[in-house]
Amino acid sequence: MAILLKFFVAGLVRYWLIHLDYWQTIANRVEIATPLNSWKRLVEGVYLYDRNINPYDGDSFHESPIMLVFFHYLMKKVPYLLPLIFTVLDLLTAYLLYKTSKSFIRIFKESQEKHVSETADESKSMLLNDTQLDAASEYVLSVYLFNPYSVLNCAGMTTTVVQNLLVATSLWGASNGQRMLACVFVALATHQALYPVLLIVPIAILLADVNKGCNKCSYIRTLLVFVLCWGFLIYISAFIMDGSYQYVYNTYGFILTVPDLKPNIGLFWYFFTEMFEHFRLLFVCAFQINALALYVVPLTLRFKKEPVLLATVLIALSTIFRSYPCIGDVGFYLALLPMWKHLFTFMQQKFIVGCAFIITSALGPTVWHLWIYSGSANANFFFGVTLSFATAQIFLITDLLFAYIKREFTLKHGSSRQVDGKPAKLVLR
Amino acid sequence: MTCLLLKFMVIITTVSNVLGDDFKEEIFIKPLPPTHLYSYFQFVTLVNSEKSFAHSHLSPRSLGEIISRFQVDELHLTLTEGQWRHKQWGYPVIDAAPGAELYAWFSQEVTDIDDQWRKLSATLSGLFCASLNFIDNFNTVTPQMALWPTGPVKGNTNVTSLLRYASLPREIVCTENLTPWKKLLPCESSRGFSALLNSRMIHNTNYHSIGVHVRNVCASKDCTETLLEIKQTVALVYDYKIINSYDWSFRKLFGQGLPGACPLSSASTIYVDITSNDTQPFKLTPPPDRIVLSQRGGSDTKLAVYDIKADGQMVNIGVKQDTKEKLQLTVPPPLHFNRYVLGYGKEFGGIVTDLVNNYWTAIDVVLLENAPWWLPIQLSSLRINGEAESKLVKSMFYSPGRSRQKPYHLELLIKLPPRSTTTITIDFEFVFLKWQEYPPDANHGFYIGSALISANLPTAKNYTSIPINGITYDSVINASKPWYPAVFRTNGAMVSLPTPDFSMPYNVICLACTVVALAFGPLHNICTKELVLKPVGTPVSLTQKLLNLFKRKKD
Repeated sequence: MAILLKFFVAGLVRYWLIHLDYWQTIANRVEIATPLNSWKRLVEGVYLYDRNINPYDGDSFHESPIMLVFFHYLMKKVPYLLPLIFTVLDLLTAYLLYKTSKSFIRIFKESQEKHVSETADESKSMLLNDTQLDAASEYVLSVYLFNPYSVLNCAGMTTTVVQNLLVATSLWGASNGQRMLACVFVALATHQALYPVLLIVPIAILLADVNKGCNKCSYIRTLLVFVLCWGFLIYISAFIMDGSYQYVYNTYGFILTVPDLKPNIGLFWYFFTEMFEHFRLLFVCAFQINALALYVVPLTLRFKKEPVLLATVLIALSTIFRSYPCIGDVGFYLALLPMWKHLFTFMQQKFIVGCAFIITSALGPTVWHLWIYSGSANANFFFGVTLSFATAQIFLITDLLFAYIKREFTLKHGSSRQVDGKPAKLVLR
Repeated sequence: MTCLLLKFMVIITTVSNVLGDDFKEEIFIKPLPPTHLYSYFQFVTLVNSEKSFAHSHLSPRSLGEIISRFQVDELHLTLTEGQWRHKQWGYPVIDAAPGAELYAWFSQEVTDIDDQWRKLSATLSGLFCASLNFIDNFNTVTPQMALWPTGPVKGNTNVTSLLRYASLPREIVCTENLTPWKKLLPCESSRGFSALLNSRMIHNTNYHSIGVHVRNVCASKDCTETLLEIKQTVALVYDYKIINSYDWSFRKLFGQGLPGACPLSSASTIYVDITSNDTQPFKLTPPPDRIVLSQRGGSDTKLAVYDIKADGQMVNIGVKQDTKEKLQLTVPPPLHFNRYVLGYGKEFGGIVTDLVNNYWTAIDVVLLENAPWWLPIQLSSLRINGEAESKLVKSMFYSPGRSRQKPYHLELLIKLPPRSTTTITIDFEFVFLKWQEYPPDANHGFYIGSALISANLPTAKNYTSIPINGITYDSVINASKPWYPAVFRTNGAMVSLPTPDFSMPYNVICLACTVVALAFGPLHNICTKELVLKPVGTPVSLTQKLLNLFKRKKD
């Protein structure tokens, strides 16, 4: 009952925000709408497509052709239902995350029972009981439904709403061992925004864990299904655009080469505004590798026992380092964090990170207004805010990982911090 | 001495007849009551269409070579400072966009037109000392409806694909452009009408535009052969306030009298529009050789004509106003327009074009909006009189722009209802450029080029252009046609793009990389190291700490 009420209230808030007079302002906010996901560009793309002008001819549209056809159909047939559709899609995302966290708790319990023998006696009390675990999924749901980031993202009617739904579905599919579902949706998400390609790693591990049996066969099967799905989507998209692969330059090419330097909450815009032309390619490659490839292998090797944590961290890192991030992405991975509620006690920078989130969220729009409308600040102000926002997110993620290994250590060796009766401290070696 | 000179001239004339080159110079002066005066110079050279230009006689060889080298069929180049005010001044003989404007039709044999176009603009840039070398694909459009060649075209040619159009609204026109322009004339600036073009005086005007227009014209009625017409024009608009008097004369306008015609010209004629004499009486001195009444498209024009001879006699044509107190009501032309930028802040804006049709019938116009790539317009925001789907639009062409590659190009064929104002609005978004893409003085703002308006006017009211098949100015006399084609340029506009801090590149690179390193460091630690308990020793004294610094690390 309480869950239904939450859904009802959250849906109402979203629906009300879309119908507000300030809707245009929300939909145009630089923190919410990027060139990649903004509602305005979607409308423009559909408008051009409707008039038989190839939207990929110019620079105004960067969604995949599948999204183009989908929204073209919606805007032609049921334009009045669009606010409702967006609200429902976002609520569905919340529901799927809720279900995912339920499944995750099931997996977590199983692994906890399996490893109970390795746990130190004095740490037995730290093992989680059912009530503690069940509360986590409630928190996941609440955070996604009422986090201002996700609420505003939905109110801005960005395509990140769809993106979040696709990722949530694939996570849910993976945690329930449904390979086809997980792969199709992660392929759809990848086709839309490229960065979710990272998720195939945790999903493959998760599927192998849940489905038991031959691990390697499972990995290969998952990878194969994903590649086939993705390839099929690329082909279908070209088929929609009359066999032309021109759209690839406007979707993947646009994400990878960062030609539009409109400010957003990420690190790319000012960095590549101020970049020396000579080094642009080098740094574009460096930053994209950082976002796409750098952390996958080491983190996978380190956390292969915890695929859900791996997924959370990879989603978060790709959000921080992607070329056109928006607060919708941030809201999504923040909703996954309550699954790790039990780690919060081991985190050291909760307060700093919390303060930084609040302060930057308030300061960002302020300095943006000062720069763009009042002309009394300059780009550096906004850059400073986005920089601290990124730093806060990085602290949050690294702190979470440290907390995880600290808990792991404590479970194994007990909570006493003593070596041979002498006081000792935890250090990395 | 005079005898010898005459003989010499006779020889020149015969030679010119043999080669078929023909040079004519003309001035058309029209008062634009109450406060301005329009003077239009045109120097026409007709060249027998031998495309090689190995020998050139009266035609400028430098320009001829460019035309033949790049296989240009028709070329229009104007360099303009100031803004023609169509509403107050009526229509000029040839309209021009503020800054530099270049458009050309290439010959059908050209395979890579874009490449040829870049080469042409770069070469012309050298010839006229103008920054035409900034013309590239990212500011070039191919107008689909707005521009048509003025010369004869072979029946089955797709002329649109051979056309390229670019304008550089930021270009500043000055003496350095006028001097090479004058050098193309057979008499340069020593004799003839071009002697009046004294840069000290003409850059002192409200509006000045120099142009070169090259096209083919029919040599005979059946048009089996063509001649190449090279027309050099200058349009000047003087403000009576600047010349300090309502009485004008050549000496006041140009700083000197006219030292006779160019000896190489076959005709040197001055036309003064004295239609306004009826309402605002003035007296011409010296009296004209003849007065011609032209009835064209429902408007009567009286032209005073002077035939100038190359006798070296100083001519100083002037006007003395009878009364100055009379108030004059200017009748706006049948079609006029205004363009401005909407919005505040540096995030979103809009361009508005108002088109006013004063006439009692509908007028079909083609509006060409040519937004640079850094001003992305959104077609979905196009509103005509506030409506998204307007019945006034008969046809539309849109080619979306791409950053750093091609501009946004919108063409609308609109039927303007009689006696109406049509407002066309389109939204744009401000673009954030790379720091090195900003021009010097980035906060000065960015110029948006003029929109092109191409119309077939049903009336010749305020219309002064030469008919399409005419060469010299006398072809306007009694040249009534069913409609009068005209291409106008609206006023340009300016936007101020948001700028980064230009002094920051190193800092930004360092700071952003630091944040990336903030993630890399801990993640590297987490992935490669393991947690261990390490005994905490007793607190060390300061001396011990200092000693430890020099000790080699054991573990």
